[in-house]
Amino acid sequence: MAFSEKTKKSMNTKPKEPFDFFHDERVRSIFYQLLFAAAVGWFAWYLISNTAQNLEARGMNTGFGFLNVSAGFDSYFKLIPNEPGVGTYGRIFIIGALNTLYVSALAVIASTLLGFFIGVLRLSNNWLVSKVALAYVEIFRNTPLLIQVIFWYIGVFSLLPRVKNSIDLSAGAEIFLLNNRGLYTPWPVPGDLLWMTGLAFIVAIIAVIIFKRWARNRQDRTGQTFPTFILSAALLVLLPGTVYLITGMPLGWDIPKLEGFNFAGGASLPPSFIALLVALSIYHAAHMAETVRAGVLSVSRGQYDAARALGLRGKKVMSLVIIPQAMPAIVPPMISNWMSAVKNSSLAIAIGYPDLVSLFMQTSLNQAGYAVELVGMTMAFYMFISLTISWLLNIYNKRVQLVER
Amino acid sequence: MAIIKTERTAAIAPPLSETTALGWMRKHLFSSVFNSLLTIVTLFIIYITVKELWVWGIADAVWVADNRRGCFDINVDGACWAGVIAWLDSIFYGRYPREELWRINLGLFLLVIWMVPLWLPRVKAKISIGLTTVFLYPFLAGYLFSGGDKSISMQIMVTAAIVCLAANTVHSIIGVLTGRSLPEFLIRLFGKKNAPEKSQRYLLLGILAVSLVAVYMFQMGWNVENVSWTRWGGLFLTLVISGIGIASALPGGILLALGRRSKMPVVRVISTSFIELFRSVPLITVLFMATTMFPLFLPEGFILNKLVQVIIAVCLFNACYLAEIVRGGLQTIPRGQFEAGHTIGLGYWQTISLIILPQALKHMIPNIVGNFIGLLKDTTLVSIIGLFDVLGMLRSISKDLPWLGLHKEPLVFGAMMFFLICFAMSKYSRHLEVKLSTGHKH
Amino acid sequence: MKLSTLLTLVLALAVMTAPVSASAAGKTLDIVKKRGNLRCQVGTPSGGFYNLDAKGNWYGLDVAVCQAVAAAIFGDKNKLEIQSVSSQARFTALANGESDLLCRTATWTMSRDTQLGLDFLTPDFYDGQGFTVPKNSGITSALQLKGAKVCVTSGTTSELNLTDFSRVNNLHIDIVTFEDWNVRDDTYLKGGCDAVTGDKSSMAANIASFPKPADHMILPETISKEPLGPAVRHGDNEWSDIVRWSVFAMINAEELGVTSANVDKMRASSKNVDVRRMLGVEGNLNEGLGLSKDWAYNIIKQVGNYSEIYEQYIGSGKGALGIQRKGTLNELWSNGGLMYSPPMR
Repeated sequence: MAFSEKTKKSMNTKPKEPFDFFHDERVRSIFYQLLFAAAVGWFAWYLISNTAQNLEARGMNTGFGFLNVSAGFDSYFKLIPNEPGVGTYGRIFIIGALNTLYVSALAVIASTLLGFFIGVLRLSNNWLVSKVALAYVEIFRNTPLLIQVIFWYIGVFSLLPRVKNSIDLSAGAEIFLLNNRGLYTPWPVPGDLLWMTGLAFIVAIIAVIIFKRWARNRQDRTGQTFPTFILSAALLVLLPGTVYLITGMPLGWDIPKLEGFNFAGGASLPPSFIALLVALSIYHAAHMAETVRAGVLSVSRGQYDAARALGLRGKKVMSLVIIPQAMPAIVPPMISNWMSAVKNSSLAIAIGYPDLVSLFMQTSLNQAGYAVELVGMTMAFYMFISLTISWLLNIYNKRVQLVER
Repeated sequence: MAIIKTERTAAIAPPLSETTALGWMRKHLFSSVFNSLLTIVTLFIIYITVKELWVWGIADAVWVADNRRGCFDINVDGACWAGVIAWLDSIFYGRYPREELWRINLGLFLLVIWMVPLWLPRVKAKISIGLTTVFLYPFLAGYLFSGGDKSISMQIMVTAAIVCLAANTVHSIIGVLTGRSLPEFLIRLFGKKNAPEKSQRYLLLGILAVSLVAVYMFQMGWNVENVSWTRWGGLFLTLVISGIGIASALPGGILLALGRRSKMPVVRVISTSFIELFRSVPLITVLFMATTMFPLFLPEGFILNKLVQVIIAVCLFNACYLAEIVRGGLQTIPRGQFEAGHTIGLGYWQTISLIILPQALKHMIPNIVGNFIGLLKDTTLVSIIGLFDVLGMLRSISKDLPWLGLHKEPLVFGAMMFFLICFAMSKYSRHLEVKLSTGHKH
Repeated sequence: MKLSTLLTLVLALAVMTAPVSASAAGKTLDIVKKRGNLRCQVGTPSGGFYNLDAKGNWYGLDVAVCQAVAAAIFGDKNKLEIQSVSSQARFTALANGESDLLCRTATWTMSRDTQLGLDFLTPDFYDGQGFTVPKNSGITSALQLKGAKVCVTSGTTSELNLTDFSRVNNLHIDIVTFEDWNVRDDTYLKGGCDAVTGDKSSMAANIASFPKPADHMILPETISKEPLGPAVRHGDNEWSDIVRWSVFAMINAEELGVTSANVDKMRASSKNVDVRRMLGVEGNLNEGLGLSKDWAYNIIKQVGNYSEIYEQYIGSGKGALGIQRKGTLNELWSNGGLMYSPPMR
């Protein structure tokens, strides 16, 4: 390149002008960036043109029109109604996305609770308990999640009882029933005026926020605390409760009943759902437990001693000193753990739970083709979820940083 | 959270607790009513689980039988390990021809030989040993495993790999015995210690050239039968995929991480979005993309086989995860190091490769091991898209007619196998972490 | 630069690991001959059709058909590469030339034959969907399954057939799908479903693997037609002729009484013109296929006739599925079945 020769030449003579075009860092940086962008652009163009050519050569259809075409199949588990042969591929996408979100939301909640519990056990001064918790963490962190998912799928249902001897999780009320055919739960049937109760609930939340602000201001001004917790809890329960009663209890429950071979009514969660939920919860709880342990241990013992020296008692030490300091260490890994729980829910495909990947990327791809669109939409969905979660994480991080200053 | 309080009260235990077993138990298991209750409940849970497992897996298990019916005839309720035992070769080596298994074993053995010097304290130039492992071993192993006719470039790479392996081994032996490096030793051997640097270098280059030619001649006559990738499988395939995944993702990860930290906005934006794209989607979608979209990406008539598709997907995916690890490692290096590098007249790439990366790599090693464990576990996903990795093999057992329906035992076996490998590695990575972090403080 | 460096690395790796395959263009037979082996696609191991044994070898009825085609082309049944492809990639793998032949218990349906760019050639096995129930359940007919929970493996025609059957007969069957039939059967054995449905052939085999086979039975109803057979890419008629007639040769050999044991003798001394034509002693049937004269001889000598492969993998042979052939559609036409080969003349 002429460019490099020129560079060599100019190395021998000292630059005279203040602005040397070839030695200016900004110019060079722009040059490199242009080169890089051109290379990436060329590569992208190469892939796209190849794809277009291949699609045409194979006579494959393109475009998003297929989303309005009715899909010839149905999902056996869905949160919104769908009629096989009528429901479109667009609907299948929504069903899959909701199924993914449903199982991962439950898994996130369950794994967080279980993880905190195991984490606390791990910190227990009872030798046996802490070792058992350690064994739990090590076993589940060091085996592939896929094997665990399949294992629960095989294992859990051979351990559960038959329909006639269903386990009643609601202690005699017979509304939450677990047997080897799945989990049966009541399903809400909303009435006409239910929206008013919802509205009342939102009003109550807003009221609580305002009230808390006021209480904090008052404490800042006068130093007096106010029993905010009891009052806001009362507000949250009483306001929607009263509206619910006044509007005539507009919410019915469809309760599962044993009919013939099976339970009818209510909602039944299929074995694959439960297996996936159990596997995800247990696996991510193991990661969660380590996060919690590391977080609590990151607060130095001196903090505890200092708090005690100030005269704070057990609960207050925890809630005012230890936990607020441990949280910044716990929350970021916890949120990335949630993120991987959402991603790992795609292992559903191994046990046939109809999540987005198995409905959209597998079955729809088999039936309709449209490889580029289907793969693109599925990936975009996961990216959207991940970016949303990391956006929340960034907000949290910013807040924590402000508190520190 | 009340636990911390109870721990404090437990500290007033009698000195007896430090000496006798009973005292130890009182201190650690029965320090309070609540703790005693906890201990008893835990013991009960342990008893139930262990008993069930013991009865099914050991006491009632059948170890020798010709087929599953034979297992049932002996004991219907126990595990039928006979099937797993009959399939052991397949679980480890997949469908690799049984008379060629020595090639896999030799390949793994060579890897061990190659890498052992990294752990020997007196050996010098560990970075170059590590680099040759990453860049040359794959060619040697690749030829050993797949065999067949060698292209010229392949022959050269195999030659280079053999020479390097020999040099590494001799170098390490000399290192252990004398504490010198191979070049130093050679120069002493030829008595040229005081010769000018140039002639020393000529001597070394000469020796290198002679050995390269000799080995090239040797390997020309060395041919092993071709084994198609479709016969690769089992734990071997899992290790190949994750091994290539980690080795070739490392350079990519470093470049991506540097790109993400670059001052040039275009480079930074593109690198960041590439990293975030792959980090935010599940591996299985990337694998599906590889099998369905890669054939569309390539010009017509150019078909990659499925194993290559999978390996590319795993590399892209893992490079993005490694990039974040590398970025974390780079962040531990104080800015002063960059500035110092620039001050002594080093350019960007020189600063990075000579000053920053060697320091950062040290901090990254535990995380890289952790990443490798994760990758090893995630590689089981390739069984979903139809490769016979270890999980694919384990799941095939239940379809083989003599063992039809035998699916729990293989899975339990697989879980135990993974646990042993991953647990050992994670223990090691934790050990490294402790060792390296103290090293840093000094 | 970074991306392209990465790409170069990755591509270098690709070139290192595997030779690049030839394109799908051109005549399949020429490509196969040039490559030196036949690439036959099967699925993940299943029943007596394609299976891995503990030594890592493939065996089964569909594998035998693959071997027959390889024997016809190369005179060596081992010049064969069995590719196991997951179901979502099966048709693309055939379409882009990765596989030459698909032989994986795929049911021959009109939509598949006409819309997917592939041609089904001839059935090598007639299956049908049925139900398995516990004997003590008192169920004797599939029509008694009203409101029952029925387990089925997903992604197969069985699922669709079951939905249709339930709707037509107003049975309101509660369908539970499983990815893996092992789990399906386990769930059934533990009482997780009242019946299992699937292809009768595989169900017979599965019952035989239950701890107490005598406690279960297959209901008499067959609710679907499942003709299973090899398929090839649409448009290469010479290639479909070769595959089709390789299957016919095995059926014809059974009809003529030619087996792998007596084929040498028959070739040397048989007076039957049909046998002589088939084995290439007389006439020039091979020319239309573009194969050598002894193509059919090689199939029968190395793989066997249809009856032999059936008994070895599906029928009563040692380690086979144990499904009786007598009285089924898989009998020869002369015995009341559907196995029928057009005359080879």
